[in-house]
Amino acid sequence: MNQAEVTKLVSRLRIPILAKHRRLRNPEGPQGRVKKLRSIVTALLKYERIEVYHYDGDEARGYVERLISDAIRHGDTHKETMDMADFWIEEKNIVHKLFKVLVPRFQNTTVSYTRAYNAPIPHATPEKSDLSFHSVIELRGNPFPPLVQRAVDSRLHIQNVLLDEAKKEYRAQKYAEIAQDLESRANADSSAKSEELAQNNSQTPSETTTETETK
Amino acid sequence: MKLNLCCQLLKTSLGRFSTISTRQISSNIVQKQNDIFNKEFKRQQNAVGRIEKINVTYKGLPEDAELIMNKNLSTPYNCAQHMSEMLCDRSVLALIDGVKLWDMHRPLESDCELQLLHFYDSDPYHSNRTFWRSCSIMLGSVLSNAFKDNVEVQLHSFPSPNVKSGSFVYDVQLSGVDNWKPTSAELRVLSAEMVKLAYEAVPFERLSISQDLAEALFEHNKYKLEQIPSIVQQSIDGKVIVYRIKDHIDISRGPMMSNTNHLGRCTIAAVSFRFFLSPPSCLLSSNATTCCHSLSIYIYVDYVIVSHS
Repeated sequence: MNQAEVTKLVSRLRIPILAKHRRLRNPEGPQGRVKKLRSIVTALLKYERIEVYHYDGDEARGYVERLISDAIRHGDTHKETMDMADFWIEEKNIVHKLFKVLVPRFQNTTVSYTRAYNAPIPHATPEKSDLSFHSVIELRGNPFPPLVQRAVDSRLHIQNVLLDEAKKEYRAQKYAEIAQDLESRANADSSAKSEELAQNNSQTPSETTTETETK
Repeated sequence: MKLNLCCQLLKTSLGRFSTISTRQISSNIVQKQNDIFNKEFKRQQNAVGRIEKINVTYKGLPEDAELIMNKNLSTPYNCAQHMSEMLCDRSVLALIDGVKLWDMHRPLESDCELQLLHFYDSDPYHSNRTFWRSCSIMLGSVLSNAFKDNVEVQLHSFPSPNVKSGSFVYDVQLSGVDNWKPTSAELRVLSAEMVKLAYEAVPFERLSISQDLAEALFEHNKYKLEQIPSIVQQSIDGKVIVYRIKDHIDISRGPMMSNTNHLGRCTIAAVSFRFFLSPPSCLLSSNATTCCHSLSIYIYVDYVIVSHS
């Protein structure tokens, strides 16, 4: 009860985060794991696009997102944020980059600060049999050429032109059917009504006569 | 086997019904046409004389390039060969100086700026139209070859390409059969012939010829003979443009796509009869639906056009 809302204490990240941290195996134990993550965080902030083992990279990505998010939220005068940056970033000039370059860059964005792509898995060769799952992680707005091509507008490709026309024809056919259906119904209704009217007309004189008789 | 039994008119099932004399006649006509075509082609090549160089500026992927090519000999396809195999495979049409549509296998005539168009451009309007036109002419080729020799096939013409109609069309006259209602097996055989032609990956060869030569080329076809004078009138230089796919030769203003292998899957969906007042004959028009190469879905748009004029 009376728990503080977590979202107000910690920035809500714009990437999916696992409920539990990954147990990344490292010969140096948990400390080695943190060391590894720190080096990835530093590299990502420094080079803006890196290729790493998928699981390490995905784990480190969350810390980068959190660092940038906190830096935007609290600025460089906030002690806790500064301590965090100091801990996660190994090269101290990158701390300056975080506050002076990345904060202005990401201040007004509504999407995540980083992007991750699956790297291609190479064929196994006798020289290289390590086929681990790699991914490429990058900061948005980096100066490198884009990794994925911008989607081409395919509306005018021949298959879509054909499909559009087929759809149009199908729709026209359906509308025609509906219109015909309504018309036939309306006709049936009107004919039924006229029949009723005719019946009423024939019945009314007799009714009146009966009424008069009862009176 | 089943297909073969069903098809009473088409060659695929033919074998025992063929009469050698008529077959020889049709192959003689084709041979003669091709001889004329080859001779004229050679004459035009020799007429180029001393080879001059032209500068071709290529704009587009993978990178802009400056090429020095042979005047009246080198084609846009040759330019593509200098740059990338990808360009050779996918280019449908060339655009000269940003305005003129040019066949891939038509020699360049002067210094120019070259762009290569394909089906997945942001606006593939011209590629699509060219594709449709080329499919019509391929359909004509299939129809003129597919029937048994007791059926005489006279190609008439095909309408200007309209992709939105969902079908490409070729009008042919069949004599020797009345009121042919093709079975589904027969349509499938025609479709298979079309796909075979696509698989053969034959280039579309273009040649601009004089009226006399065109009349000599199509002397066996009364419809084409009738059309030639008006075509000559409409053209600027008084020439008739003919295209050759494998050994089939047809008239068209063009431009055509570079190769038959741009056609992926295709089915001939319907055959309809058109009745014309003059000449008083029954023309058959075949409609086909199709998709271009490297397309993973198959479009069935079953249009049947029957027009009475």
